Amino acid sequence: MIREEETLSTTFERLQQLFVAHFDYNIEELTPTTTLENLGLDSLDIIEFMFDIENEFNIRIPDREFKVTTIQDMVDALDRFISEQDSEQDIGSSIHE
Amino acid sequence: MKRRVAVTGLGIISPCGNTIDDFSSNLMAGKSGVRRISSAYSSLLSVKIAAEVDFSPLDYFIKKQLSGMDRVSQFALAAASQAWKDSELSLDAKEKERAGVYMGCGMGGGNAIEDLYDQLFKHNADRVKPLTVLMVMNNASASHISIEYGLSGPCLTLSTACASSANAIGEAFRQIRDGYADVMLAGGAEAFLTYGGFRSWEALRILAAEDPGDPSKSCKPFSKNRTGLVLGEGAAMVVLEEMERAVRRGAPVYAELIGYGSTSDAGHITRPSLEGQARAMAEALKDAGLLPEDIDYINAHGTATEWNDLLETQAIKKVFGDYACRVPVSSTKSMHGHTMGAAGAMEFIVSLLAIRNQAVPPTTNLDQPDPECDLDYVPNIGRTGVTVNTVMSNAFAFGGTNAALIARKVKG
Repeated sequence: MIREEETLSTTFERLQQLFVAHFDYNIEELTPTTTLENLGLDSLDIIEFMFDIENEFNIRIPDREFKVTTIQDMVDALDRFISEQDSEQDIGSSIHE
Repeated sequence: MKRRVAVTGLGIISPCGNTIDDFSSNLMAGKSGVRRISSAYSSLLSVKIAAEVDFSPLDYFIKKQLSGMDRVSQFALAAASQAWKDSELSLDAKEKERAGVYMGCGMGGGNAIEDLYDQLFKHNADRVKPLTVLMVMNNASASHISIEYGLSGPCLTLSTACASSANAIGEAFRQIRDGYADVMLAGGAEAFLTYGGFRSWEALRILAAEDPGDPSKSCKPFSKNRTGLVLGEGAAMVVLEEMERAVRRGAPVYAELIGYGSTSDAGHITRPSLEGQARAMAEALKDAGLLPEDIDYINAHGTATEWNDLLETQAIKKVFGDYACRVPVSSTKSMHGHTMGAAGAMEFIVSLLAIRNQAVPPTTNLDQPDPECDLDYVPNIGRTGVTVNTVMSNAFAFGGTNAALIARKVKG
């Protein structure tokens, strides 16, 4: 069950919380223009972090489709995946009906 | 003339302490690290005791480091950092190319693999932790250490079950002696106290029964009432260094590593062979250019299984002849349990500490002498004020691999 405050949070805010929980960053460090490189994260860190992102947003990120530089890039990509997968589910359920 | 090899740093994460000084004083005092296990699955097991390490990862690592690191590599890095600091080494880029890491490990990332299977088979997960491969692979510990200290010479992981880290130290010794490297961080680590790990050992029917009066006394090497081994975990690391280099920089030298014997039984996968064990000890003596009478202390493999203790006793007699009854032999597994891939290195450190302390740790829980195990096992009480110049440490493994290491006090 999704808690009310989460439904009200933006993708950016949810991502911020995940960054803090996963890497112990201060929330002030995490602005839309912050780059992952600034945060000292390498490709392996991102692969690992994607696991938590998938859990949080209840999505599956396809291989090779998460090319991001800034936190805003991540937000945009996530919003795209979320809407794509929502519409896939809608199509799936309408066919089923 | 062959190059000589000094031991210039020690590090340990063990059921009997996470510093060299704690480990040393606990063993001399006969304090056991064996206890009832506390995990959720313990009620399912027939044997509920082990020698667990008391370890808080966040004392050693930041959260980000931990996500890709199994408990076994955490132990390895923590022990390596102690050894490195202890050696007071500082290498430039060129010197780092002549410095390497040899690790012994039996089971690799046992906790990560158990977690993987738990997620897949029990919780029907459709994907698993992204860094699982990097946590499970057996060479993870060696690589983490190599990366941490920038050691870019040879970096290998030796897996010979319970002899793994004795082999790692022996082979690292040869790397330096034969001129392939000048500095080696060598040792071993194991962390296989998982539900699957306990079940696997339980199935072999060689685990010790819990002592009815005191669980900490359950491992009874060489005692008539011994019932088997107690599983342990931990890591032990030494810094090996070419002797002239060590002397030149005024390094603290614990001892000189002078002999290594490595043999295989080529017989049975679990049952040890007197011949194989004896040849390992004899080879180490020959390698060191010593006579049996030169050895002042033997740290036995001493698992407390029926077969090991009997055959190791006979093998020592075969190699040491009449002197076998006069040389002190102890099994500190009675206190730190069988730490598997870490055992050879851990017990090599015990042997080096016997030189440092001029004292011999006891075999605890030896209350009922076995007529067939009739050497001087230093029963129950450690001996201080004795002369210990030269020591031997034995490690024998499932699969039939045998290793013996000899170290000698450096005059000075």
